[in-house]
Formats: sequence, C-alpha cells, structure tokens
Amino acid sequence: MLYSMKDLVAIVPELIVTAFAFAILLIDLWLPKRMKGFNGILALVGVLVAVGVTISMYNLNAVAFHGMVVMDRASNFANIVILLVTFVVIIMGFDFLNRENINIGEYYEIMLFSVVAMMVLASSYNLITIFIAIETLSIGMYILTGFLKNKNESVEGAMKYFILGSFASSFLVLGIGLLYGLFGSADLNVIKSALSGADSLHKWVTILSFLLIFVGFGFKIAAFPFHSWTPDVYAAAPTPVSAFMSIAPKVAGFLVLMRFLVVGMAPIQVEWSKVLWIIAALTMTFGNTVALWQKDLKRLLGYSSIAHAGYMLVGITAANALGYGAVMFYLFGYLFMNLGAFAVAEFISTKEDRGTEIENLRGMGYRYPLIGLAMLMFMFCLAGVPPTVGFIGKYYLFSAAVKSHLYWLAVIGVINSAISAYFYLNIVVTMYMKGEPENPPAVLNSLPLKIVVLVGALGVAYIGVFPGSLLDVALKSITF
Amino acid sequence: MNQLHFPILSLITFLPLAGAILIAFINEKNENFIRYFTFGILVIDFIISLPLFFAFDPSTYHMQFVERMPWIKSLGFQYYVGVDGISLFLVLLTTFLTPIAQLSTWKAVNKKVKLFNIVILFMQTGMLGVFISLDMFLFYVFWEVQLIPMYLMIGIWGGPNRVFATMKFFLYTFAGSVLMMVAIMALYFLNHHYTGVYTSDMVKLMSTPLPAHIQLWLFLAFFVAFAIKVPMWPFHTWLPWAHVEAPTAGSVLLAGVLLKMGTYGFLRFNLPMFPDMTHAFAVLVIVLAIIGIFYGAFVAMVQPDIKKLVAYSSVSHLGYSMLGMFALTQVGMEGSILQMLNHGISTGALFLAVGIVYERRHTRLISEYGGLASLVPVFATFFMIFTLSSIAVPGTNGFVGEFMILLGAFLSHPVYGIIVAFGGLFSAVYMLTMYKRVVFLKVTNPKNLELEDMSKREWAYMVPLVLFVFWIGLYPNTFLSKMRVSVEHLLKQTNRTVQVSMTSKQIQPVKTVVVKKG
Repeated sequence: MLYSMKDLVAIVPELIVTAFAFAILLIDLWLPKRMKGFNGILALVGVLVAVGVTISMYNLNAVAFHGMVVMDRASNFANIVILLVTFVVIIMGFDFLNRENINIGEYYEIMLFSVVAMMVLASSYNLITIFIAIETLSIGMYILTGFLKNKNESVEGAMKYFILGSFASSFLVLGIGLLYGLFGSADLNVIKSALSGADSLHKWVTILSFLLIFVGFGFKIAAFPFHSWTPDVYAAAPTPVSAFMSIAPKVAGFLVLMRFLVVGMAPIQVEWSKVLWIIAALTMTFGNTVALWQKDLKRLLGYSSIAHAGYMLVGITAANALGYGAVMFYLFGYLFMNLGAFAVAEFISTKEDRGTEIENLRGMGYRYPLIGLAMLMFMFCLAGVPPTVGFIGKYYLFSAAVKSHLYWLAVIGVINSAISAYFYLNIVVTMYMKGEPENPPAVLNSLPLKIVVLVGALGVAYIGVFPGSLLDVALKSITF
Repeated sequence: MNQLHFPILSLITFLPLAGAILIAFINEKNENFIRYFTFGILVIDFIISLPLFFAFDPSTYHMQFVERMPWIKSLGFQYYVGVDGISLFLVLLTTFLTPIAQLSTWKAVNKKVKLFNIVILFMQTGMLGVFISLDMFLFYVFWEVQLIPMYLMIGIWGGPNRVFATMKFFLYTFAGSVLMMVAIMALYFLNHHYTGVYTSDMVKLMSTPLPAHIQLWLFLAFFVAFAIKVPMWPFHTWLPWAHVEAPTAGSVLLAGVLLKMGTYGFLRFNLPMFPDMTHAFAVLVIVLAIIGIFYGAFVAMVQPDIKKLVAYSSVSHLGYSMLGMFALTQVGMEGSILQMLNHGISTGALFLAVGIVYERRHTRLISEYGGLASLVPVFATFFMIFTLSSIAVPGTNGFVGEFMILLGAFLSHPVYGIIVAFGGLFSAVYMLTMYKRVVFLKVTNPKNLELEDMSKREWAYMVPLVLFVFWIGLYPNTFLSKMRVSVEHLLKQTNRTVQVSMTSKQIQPVKTVVVKKG
C-alpha cells in the first residue's frame, strides 16, 4: 500500500488550502491584536491560489489513493464553486468580525479546514472517504455556528446542529457498514458491479442502506424530512457563516450524492428515483409553504434554501445527463443569488439587536437605491423570474424532469415556484411599496458588503442573459 | 427574410432599455429633463418602428424583418425575432401607445419620477419582446420579464390598495405562466420525439404533428396562461383590481398592450400548434367568451367608479376578440385582431380621459361629477368620441371590429352570433349611462366649477388617438390588407387535419410517453 507522487497530484488544491490553514494557525500566534485582519488576507490569497490551480488542472483526470479520491471535471467544478463561496464569505466577514470583536485567526482556520473537507467530499469515490469528509466538515460547521460564544442563541444553534448532525451521521455510518458487509468493499465502482449481479435479497438490503445513507446526505443538503435544523441554525449562526453553510456544504453534498447514486447505486436507479421523486416534491413544497409565514430574513432564507434543495433534487430524480448538469449549473447560480441575499441580511443587521426582520427593509429601495435594486434582483432570481440565473437554472432542472417524462414532478416544481413568488415579492413590497419608516434603522455601511452585493447582482443578471457557456461547462463536467 | 437588411426589430426593442440605463445616471432632481428624455426616446422608437409598416410585404405569410442568432447553443435556443401580419400591428400599437401613456404622466406622477421612467422604458422592451419573439424560450423570457415593470408600476405608484392589487396581478399571471413553461419544455422534447430535431423555433413547431391526447394537455396549459392574461371569464378577477389601483399610464398599457399578449398567445400557440384541440374546444371557448361579454357588461353597469367600469368593459371587449378568433373564420379572425387594436386605442383613451379628470378632482366616482359638458367642453367632446368608439357606433373603429367578429360568428355558429348581437346593446347601456351622468345633467357639485379644460399636453396625446378611431372606422382596409395573408395561413394551419398523420409510424411510441407520468 504505497502511495506515489502521482496520488498527491490529485489533491493539490486540497493541499494548498490545508497549507494556508496551517500557515494562518502559526502566523496568528505572532500577530498583534490590531493586525488580525492579515489572517483574512492570507485566507483570501490561499483560496485564490487554490482556485487558480484548480482551473489550471480543470481537465485532468486522476484516480488516487487506490480509488479513494478522484480528480475529474465534476470535482473540479464543485471545488471552484466551493472556493468562490469561501472567497466571498471571507470578504463578507471582514467588518462583521471586527464589529462582534471576534476577529481571531481561528475563524479562518476552521473555515479553511472545513473547506478542505468539502473539497475532499466532492472528490471522494469511496464510502469511507465520504464519511470522513462529512464528519470533518461538520465539526468545522458546528464550531462556526457557535462562534458568537457570548450569544446564547448562537451557542444554542450550534448545540442543536451538533446533536442532530451526530444523529444523522450514525445513520450514515450504519448504511455504509451494511453496504460494506454486503459487498466487501466501500468503493463505489466495486459496489456497482457487485450490485448489478446481485440477488433480490442483496438488492433489498442495498435499498435499505441507500435509505440510511440518504439520511446522512439529506441532512447535509437540508432535504425534507431531515431539514429541521436549517432555519434555526441559519438564524442563530453569524450571518457570513449562514451564507457559507447555505451553499458550500451543499455543493459538495449534491455532487457526492450524485456520485453515490449514479455510480454506486446505478443498478437500483428505478428505486432511488422513486424515493427521490417523493423527497424532492416534499422538500420543495415544505420549504416554500413554511417560508410564507416567516418574518425574519435569515429564517426565510433558511426555508428558501430547503426549497432550493428540493428543486435541485428534481434534477437528480430526472436521472439524465441534462439533469445532473443542471444541478451543477444551479449550484453555481445559487452562489450569486444566495450570497447576495445573505449579504443584504448582514447589511441590515445592526449591532444593538441583530435584527434581520424583514420589516427593517422598509423603504430601503429608496435609501440605498443600488442595494435595493440588487436585492430586488436576488428576490426575482430566487423566485425564478427571467432574465436571471434563477430562472434559467430552474428551467434546466425542470426540463430535465420533463425529458424523463416526470411531468407531474415538473408541475409540482413550477407550482412551488409560483408559491415562492409570494414571499420573495413580499420583500420587494417591503422595500419599495410600504413607504419610509419613521426612524430608519441604522445599517452597516460596509464597503466589502456592498461589493459582495453588487458582484452578486451582476452575476445574477449576466449569467441570466448569457447562460450558454456556463451551461456547456456544467453539462460537460458530469463525466461519471 | 429581412427586407430592410438592418436589425430594425432589435433596435426598437432594445432602444428603450438603453434609454433606461442612461436615465439611471441622471440626477433624480432633474425631473423635467428625465420626462423629456424618456418621451424623446419613446417617440424616436415609434418613428423607427414606422418602416415596419411601410416596408411590410402583405403578400406573404412568412416572417419578415427576421433576425436570427444562436443564443444557448447546447439546447438550440435562438435569438429569433420577426413579425408577420398578426404581430405587426401589435408591435406598432405598443410603440404608438407607450409615448402617449408616458406623456399622460407628466403631472400625475410626482414622486420617484426617475424610477417611474426607467420602469416605463423597461416595460416597453418587455412588451415588444413578446410580440417579436419567434423562439418559444425567448418568448417565455419576455413574457415573464414584462411582469416585473408592471408589478412595480402598480405597487409603487398605485392607489391605496396597490400592494394587494399588484400581488394579485403578479401571482395570478405568474401561476398561469409557469404551467405554460412546463408545456414549452414538453413541446420541445415531444417535437424531438416526432421529428428528431431539438428546436424551440415557433414557426417550425407550428407544423409538428402531435396526436390528440398530447395536444389536449399542451392546449390546456397554454390556454390557462393566456386566458388569465386576456383575461377570459372566469379568470378575470385580477383585472379590476389591477386597473383601479394602477396609475393612469399603467392602466393604459395594461389594457392597451399587456392584455393583447393573451390573445396574441392564442394566435401564436394554441391555434396553429394544437389544431385538433382548437376545434374540439372552440365551442367551449366561444361560450366562455360570450359569458365574458355579458358578464363584463352587466358588472360594468353597476359600477360607481368610472375606472372600474372601463375595466369591466375590457372583459367584455376582449370577449369579442376571443369569440372572433375561435369562430375560426377569415372575417372573424381579422375582426378579432382588429378588435385588439381597437380596444388598445379606445380603452386606452378612456383610461386617459379618466386620468384627466382624476388629476383635477382626485376622485373617480361617477356621482361626484355631472354637467361637465358646459364646464369643460373640449374634454366632453373627446370623451364622447371614445365612448362612442367603445360602444362600437358605425364610423368608429369599434364598429368595424365588432361587426366583423359578429359576421365571423354567424358564419360558423349562427346561434351564438345572434346571442352576442345583443351584447352590443348592453355596452351602449353602461357607457351611455355613465357618459350622461358625468357629462350631461346639471352641475351639482360646486367643486367641478373650478375644473380646467384640457391642456396642450393633453390635446397632444388625445388627438392621435382620435385620428385612429376614425381611420380604422372609415377605412379599415389599410390595416386589414396587411393581415389578410397571414390570417389565411393561420386558418389553414388550424384547419389541417392531424388525423392523417396519426396513422403514420412516427406516432407509435406515443403511449409510452403518456403512461409514464412519474
């Protein structure tokens, strides 16, 4: 069992991020208190380098460590999305950390370590790697959720997340154990070939273990009925962390779910497709329906992210290349709309009360015309109205379903889209149509936040009008 | 085919958008400059659109002024635009009506002037895009895009119930159109199934042979989307709210252009693409249209609010348009298209007239007025012309349209034709009663004594409308001659029997398509 340098090539981007995380860990010791911002710069540089390297290795195909880890276009695509999210979240956090007086190196270290775990998760081809990666990234997420250690709600959210997360992981490990017991291997390719010749008992036990493993994945991507942590944790966690959680782990989660289903579980595709049909429909409907009653922007975005996980599950349920490509495309577009919306949530939360109530947005369209316009675009985008990336993404997801003759699922999806328009537009109503408040709440006039918001808006509009090349890349990224 | 060798359709569609972007950089304090600038762009846009009319070749049903560019290559979506005899006048109506609507807001809209003008320019782009798109994906994008500016217009500059009205408008229309989205996707894949080509080219899709049971679902999905937009009874409930709450310009564009998207959609999708279902559902649609004609008229009779009365009269008038369309006769269909233009002109003008008095008195209740004939004679005259046009008095545009529709209905469904002939009677009842109570009788309300007659600006936007009332009323052939060949072709497509192709081998795998629903 020797590893060669070749194996290391497949994990170069991960190694870079790890190296920077350790560097921050060390340098932080010597940094005086007022220079802590340097950690953030270093983290940004690390992420950028990793993005550059990943792009330069984009078309490389490598299998490393005896098939535990692969590098292919899908993993590279996902890694780029994860790294971009990290980049933006670090920028979002600059002013936040100073304001809350928690500008310490640990924030960046933990974030980068969990990013490494996500990247490994996106590249893993073996159930053992998958489990280790999921656990590692979860630990980072638990800590980051409770990072406001003086605030009860933050700690409470972390605790809730931790307990539910461990519970979900135990299902995951049980499912993995069953599969290993059945086929004597945790390698997805081996499982696939063993499963295709298996008898019906093996098949049924496989379906059982698929369901158990799905509990673990479903928890990460916030699919119904494993979603219950999402709104609480999003509302409790520091806003940049909520933004991070709402996208990055999902990118890795969706990719690994696709790998697991499309490669490992290929012989029982009919069965998992049926299960996913139900889960996708319930996830969309639940997320959108409950979001109708939300008064807090962050909680609303929490439920909305459940709904969007449901939309993406539609793409996987369709079980065709268009659907898988559409999921990748959607994740990329989701980066812009969701980060933008979270940045606006951060923009309106003041230090005294971390108020992210929707009511605080009143009259914002006029007081901050650019931010207001951007938020309007994010809301129309999340609702799936053209000409935004949200519309194009949904169009691909649902048309993949139509291609596989899942007409009713597509109909449920678009009806959900219509339901969601109500609460997203309600935010636009608050910003533009309810008049000015008597004493407008103070907002964070932070330059980094504004940049994030504007970049998000530009991304939403540009990809919405010219989606062609990105769609090609997303469609071609699925090679398994 | 593009006889001008120049991307004229793109130019008229995107010029307003470019203008909107420019306005974003103007200081919002220069309100008057923004008004002039926007008006200038809209007028230029109208002038640029005139060559469409003069260079249009009426002897062919093929699309003209075509532009084609790949857009999303991997799925075969194109930027494909063009007009034929059906869409030509809707494009012209839009470029004609928007500057008029904008001119009417110079005094009425005082807050957020900059945003208002950006919204109106953006709306112009969206509306034109719908009428020129020949790629169904592109069509859908524009179809939804134009919801955004109207949503903002009602929501920001509307009346006291604006939030409810605009939400109802948006959600109702959006919910209807998302089903159309699924139908568009299904059509895309079914077309591949039957012809082996992935395309969203609407002209090609019009000749795809689809078996009846598939046509049924697609027809229904498109029907719901368009029927909400028209709006047909019983999908009309959003309309009175939207109209009453919208600012005058919003009402004008809503009635004048946005509603036409629904009727236009029927002509572009339902009739040529699903001919069997068009015939199967014709009687049902006619019945709904007739219910709409009478319902709209009856409800309009009891409205105390002039604007609401005009809104309900819209339901009635568009019922005529739907009736003429689904009579499936040449004269009826031409009448139906003409009725769309007429409705845009006369109902738009009526909303403008309501706006003129509302601007002065801030009320729209009929009972608040009375005796305006002696106080503001010019206004009373204009108002009368449009009232008569709305009633369809011979000599006005309304008469030609409704007459042709009735004729078309008699030819194919005589009984319904006879029933509808009474509808005209009711429209005279509600319009004339309203006119009498507002303009004639004695001046009972002293507040009206201070009313000023129409200003030059108001003259400027009313006169072109009057011109068209009489032009179409006296010599409709200018317009009819351009649409004739396209309508003939549309009817040929609608009357083609798909039964023949049902027996061909291509159709065999159909069952598997439908059985696997999930």
